[in-house]
Amino acid sequence: MRLMSLRLALTTAALMGLAHANAAESPVTIPSYVEETTSAGIDSIYAGEWEYMVGGGVATFDCNADGFADMLLAGGENPSKFYRNKSKRGEALHFELQTSGLELDRMTGAYPLDVDSDGITDLVLLRVGENVVMRGLGDCKFERANESWGFEGGDGWSTSLAATWEKGSTWPTIAIGNYIDRKEETSPWGSCTDNWLHRPAQVVGAPQLMFAKPWPLKPSFCPLSMLFTDWNRSGTPSLRISNDREYYEGGQEQLWHVDPGKEPTLFTEKEGWRPLRIWGMGIAAYDLDFDGYQEYFLTSMADNKLQTLAAAPKDAPAQATFKDVAFAKGVTAHRPYQGDDLRPSTAWHTQFEDVNNDGLVDLFVAKGNVAKMPDFANKDPNNLLLQTVEGKFQEAGGKAGVASIATSRGAALADFNLDGLLDLVVINRWETAQLWRNTTANAGHWIEVKLQQPAPNRDAIGGWIEVKRGEKVMRREITVGGGHASGQNGWWHFGLGDATEAELRVVWPNGSSGDWQKLAGNAFYILEPGKPATAWTAK
Amino acid sequence: MKTTRRTLAMAVVALLSWGALLGVPVAQAGALQPQDVLQRWYKLALELVRHTATYSPPVASRSFAYIGVTVFEAVATGPSQLQTLAGQLHGLKDVPQREAGKTYDEAVMIQAAMAFATQNFFDHTGPTGQRAMATLETKLRDEVTAGVAPDVAIRSEEYGRAVAEHILAWSKDDGGAVVTNMGFPEDEYKLIPGPAHWVPTNLIAVQQKPLLPNWGNNRTFIMPASNSCPLAPPPEYSEDKSSVFYKEALEVYDAKQKLTPEQRAIARFWSDDPMLSMTPPGHWISIATQIMARDKLDLDKSVEVLARMGVVLADSFIGCWQAKFQYDLVRPITYIKRIIDPKWEPLLNTPPFPEYPSGHSTQSGAAATVMTSLFGENFSFEDYTGSPDGLKPRTFASFWAAADDAGISRLYGGIHFRSAIERGLEQGRCIAAYTNALRTRK
Repeated sequence: MRLMSLRLALTTAALMGLAHANAAESPVTIPSYVEETTSAGIDSIYAGEWEYMVGGGVATFDCNADGFADMLLAGGENPSKFYRNKSKRGEALHFELQTSGLELDRMTGAYPLDVDSDGITDLVLLRVGENVVMRGLGDCKFERANESWGFEGGDGWSTSLAATWEKGSTWPTIAIGNYIDRKEETSPWGSCTDNWLHRPAQVVGAPQLMFAKPWPLKPSFCPLSMLFTDWNRSGTPSLRISNDREYYEGGQEQLWHVDPGKEPTLFTEKEGWRPLRIWGMGIAAYDLDFDGYQEYFLTSMADNKLQTLAAAPKDAPAQATFKDVAFAKGVTAHRPYQGDDLRPSTAWHTQFEDVNNDGLVDLFVAKGNVAKMPDFANKDPNNLLLQTVEGKFQEAGGKAGVASIATSRGAALADFNLDGLLDLVVINRWETAQLWRNTTANAGHWIEVKLQQPAPNRDAIGGWIEVKRGEKVMRREITVGGGHASGQNGWWHFGLGDATEAELRVVWPNGSSGDWQKLAGNAFYILEPGKPATAWTAK
Repeated sequence: MKTTRRTLAMAVVALLSWGALLGVPVAQAGALQPQDVLQRWYKLALELVRHTATYSPPVASRSFAYIGVTVFEAVATGPSQLQTLAGQLHGLKDVPQREAGKTYDEAVMIQAAMAFATQNFFDHTGPTGQRAMATLETKLRDEVTAGVAPDVAIRSEEYGRAVAEHILAWSKDDGGAVVTNMGFPEDEYKLIPGPAHWVPTNLIAVQQKPLLPNWGNNRTFIMPASNSCPLAPPPEYSEDKSSVFYKEALEVYDAKQKLTPEQRAIARFWSDDPMLSMTPPGHWISIATQIMARDKLDLDKSVEVLARMGVVLADSFIGCWQAKFQYDLVRPITYIKRIIDPKWEPLLNTPPFPEYPSGHSTQSGAAATVMTSLFGENFSFEDYTGSPDGLKPRTFASFWAAADDAGISRLYGGIHFRSAIERGLEQGRCIAAYTNALRTRK
């Protein structure tokens, strides 16, 4: 396998008359997106005033085992809407509004998670008010499970979630981030409410089938995104929290030790942690420089951050010191890149994915004013930043056709029609959500995989998928969390460039590594521990 | 003209909400007095400074000036001993007068004036700030009008608003009313080449050009012109180890290497970063409001303090910014990394504009001079400004002790050379002389 060479890319582009981002920079294939919101049947608005100025998430997941990603769109003060994916492979997108049991109001976001490891996706619904866990019943039906699973939904303003399976646990641990005290009217600043860590209940002699009373993660600083991530490849994920400095006092970004059987503790300056204070709104993670450690993109207002380890040791524990390389990589995305409104941007959901299948992950950022903030852009187009072979990024949102200036919040890049190209859904405040189909004609090859392991943790959260690309290894961590109030469970996608097959392996959550397997590209596979990959075909 | 308050309002007024927030001892609360209204709105204004992205220190100082003058003028037309500032402050014409023989309620009037002024001088704040202002206005209005005759309440509100509208109209053409891109030039500004000159000190894209390069062209309030308090040039730029410039840089470098816990605390206490604090001018307004609450100042004295402090802080930033862009001096972080130690990092975030003089020093020297004029030498106080962020209060024997503390904090923080601090403090003293010359009493 090898990455599409520069020469080949240039030749191909010249022959095909392709658009390139900038002739002076390395050429990248500009993806092509076609908006199909109306024709696909999507009509959902994230509505509400002050209590819904943040949030506005979407969850994508397959709830009827047909391989196609269905989705739940948060409605804010309105009931959320569930759409069943009726698309056909490679064709235009098509969804049907259906009753699923998930249609709760006051919802800010949602994350799919197979809580009980029965192979059917469940969901955690974040709300202004009581959070609710919904048990999947199959065929896209869900029922409330707070009582049966001992989940205390509380009465907060919940805005973020991350989940993991701690070592030795048969039940997940869920962290939920809570925003300000919404009852504070004249001085809400400094009123950040406690985040909660819902760990498995420990009942002697009984299996873990319930959540314990949530543990308050003090101090809490109004997070808008959180992610369990094995940032130092220790085998135990830590909890990265991105906090909104608008509301905390004495706060900063946070990284928590969450070690099995122990109380969570914050990483300290002695461990290398350095204070960073931003309007933290979203987290995306990916190993961009192939050093085995992930980079973290943090959305904010004006400049966004791309953090990388200040030192990435090969044979020693990494210090928790990060440096910002957003400027150097061209991903500050601090102001609109087109149009006449050049005030600073406001960024929310973010996600690394390879939208043109060239073997280099790209970066999507949803943009939108909080609400009539005159110092920030109102016409703030979403970003689609394409990675070049040099590891820098070029803006292509406009050329790709996804530069919506609606007031965007949550989003998901997902292959809704199983054609190997990642489509896009974006949730907008006060305006209908938007859906785009990726129609890129000259994209590279791809592979999509699902992980399945015996219960618990059927979806292998905390595992890693590795794909060799010449001398380099692309790695992605399997996580639940991050983005902005938006979660996904489904196929994991890799672009392969001009390679027609992929050499791939899985590092399972228990640390064991599967064998490297050569798999034909442009195909779907189910990966299970100790077994050869199983090709999957849509029925 | 008459002034009345509800019978209930004669009850003892305790230390106010701002003092309570900061940990100042609070006695039993009583009815809402005009000073309570001031405190409640100023508490919110200090929050809005922190939570409105455009409110860098110069911009914040401007808002405090106009709000302070608003309440001063509104009170000055009543049964006070105050002398209007119209005709003294540049461009301020006679403010609307009260109707002769009519009764006004001072708390209702101030509530209306503060509501209008705050909503307009912080109109760029976000939805939470807007909501907080609207909620506070409703709550305070209900409180101050309870028991007040409807005609008196309406008249008082209309008058307070009329004064505030007059001040707002006056503010429009001062050069600082419109701030875009959070104060950073978008394309037209060109950096001055040469090692002595300022260059960006971080990798934040919007901060690759300096903050508010034209702020020194704004209309001053009482200082004759922005350059009325000129500074001697900074030490001549040099990379020679025997030069004054190098030695001052080495002092900053060495200070960081040997910081004591006390010096670190001083640096943090006065850090006052925009968007993470109430900023340096907000810090001094906070000191003023704490003293107002602690000492239960009467209404005349309260608005006199707020007006004088607002004016001097605003003039300080205009004067300081004029000098900053006249000299356009390189920051310690740039020089030290280039000449002394490429791995050196200061304790504090380096502000994104030229070094000389130190803005915090200029405005602290100015504020201390005005406060000393108002309250006297050796006036001791505790400053609880940083308490909500977990900073321990500091006690000062005088206002100038606080100003000196603020000044040297910038050296400990690694963001200013000594000359910028010492001459900044002196520049502040000079600027304050104009404010102190204001006639505020009949």
